[in-house]
Amino acid sequence: MNTTNLKERLKEILVSELDLIDIEPSDIADDEPLFGEKYGLDSVDAIEIVYQVKENFGVVIRDMKEGRPALQSINSLAAFIEKRRAA
Amino acid sequence: MRTDTDIRIPFRHRQAAHCESGVASNLLSHYGLALSEPLAFGIGGGLFFGYFPFIRLNNLPLTTFRAGNGRIIDRVAGRLNVKIKWEKFRDRQNAMAALDRKLEQQTPVGCRTGAYWLTYFPRRYRFHFNMHNLVAYGRSNGDYLISDPVFPEPVTCPEKDLRKARFARGPLPPKGKMYYVTSIPAKIDLRGSIVKGIRAVCNAMTRAPVRFIGVKGIRYLADKVERWPQKLGEEKAALNLGQVIRMQEEIGTGGAGFRFLYAAFLQESASILDEKRLLDLSQRMTTIGDRWRDFALIGSRICKSRASQMETYPSMAAILRDCAAQEEHVYKELRAVVS
Repeated sequence: MNTTNLKERLKEILVSELDLIDIEPSDIADDEPLFGEKYGLDSVDAIEIVYQVKENFGVVIRDMKEGRPALQSINSLAAFIEKRRAA
Repeated sequence: MRTDTDIRIPFRHRQAAHCESGVASNLLSHYGLALSEPLAFGIGGGLFFGYFPFIRLNNLPLTTFRAGNGRIIDRVAGRLNVKIKWEKFRDRQNAMAALDRKLEQQTPVGCRTGAYWLTYFPRRYRFHFNMHNLVAYGRSNGDYLISDPVFPEPVTCPEKDLRKARFARGPLPPKGKMYYVTSIPAKIDLRGSIVKGIRAVCNAMTRAPVRFIGVKGIRYLADKVERWPQKLGEEKAALNLGQVIRMQEEIGTGGAGFRFLYAAFLQESASILDEKRLLDLSQRMTTIGDRWRDFALIGSRICKSRASQMETYPSMAAILRDCAAQEEHVYKELRAVVS
């Protein structure tokens, strides 16, 4: 899966699994912070995102030091998944 | 009287999983005691569980997955024979003057703060939480130089914001508390300190005399969770549940992050103590962390109204009881390893 497809897939997962109302995958910017007012996501949603990353990409986030920067945006999450899968 | 001379103590910042254990690790490393964060957390006896219905945060019971704020630093210092001095203040000016004096003496200072007034946090991450820890290691152009372990790089903080953060109001206020190292022993007993840290956690988690603490506390919470919808109604039950998860949420771990950190401590300790059994116990602690995360996942789905039919309060209670049972076994075996 190339990077563009990975980011698209992440956006689809966010919209469908987090029940983002009136937001399409194409509305989610690659570099926009995921948490906050724009998409209405908070720390409780982070648990679901981490679960979906494991289920869909086989990448587990346990270290809080890694998880914090990884979950900032679609860009950072995609980069984290690619790095872990390459390792 | 404060001068505006720039001060920059050569303090090495390292990002950490958790603020207090990160500060402990970085402060001690500054004085030549190269202690990783997992070791600081484990020697400091950081792993814990407590559910306190009578202590309210946001009008809801307090749940904690780690030892009380300040205890990790105190205990890791105590076990390594490092002397730490704590100071607290009523007066904000005095508190900032005391901080400046230590910085002028080239002493990096740990500070307990509220997180809300730390303006280097992006707005969306600022919330009222009074148990944050950071290190001030200098001043430049009127701002303080801050090593905040949750950030990848050092940050700066204007004086007025640090002052507000040190005196944040609300539950468990920091009251200007600061701490710094006053002496380091010539030799440390790392092995002995690890053993003491492990024993302390085993005792806290299995020998607490009250039902709110340790594995008893996990079971107590399970009993509560199971009955919340009937006792409190769906809306209040979801609020309570959100509090349990949210207050300890650490980027997707739902509170399990401390279990993972302790697993890392056991893994490092295995080679220091030359004790292979700790490797197996480390793996099991990771599995337990994953199980806590299963609990948090269902809880998050209930809170956000996206739970399936199988994802219920009784199913969460069952997971909690499983966590309690698994943790109890691990502590029993840990105790045998260090006895």
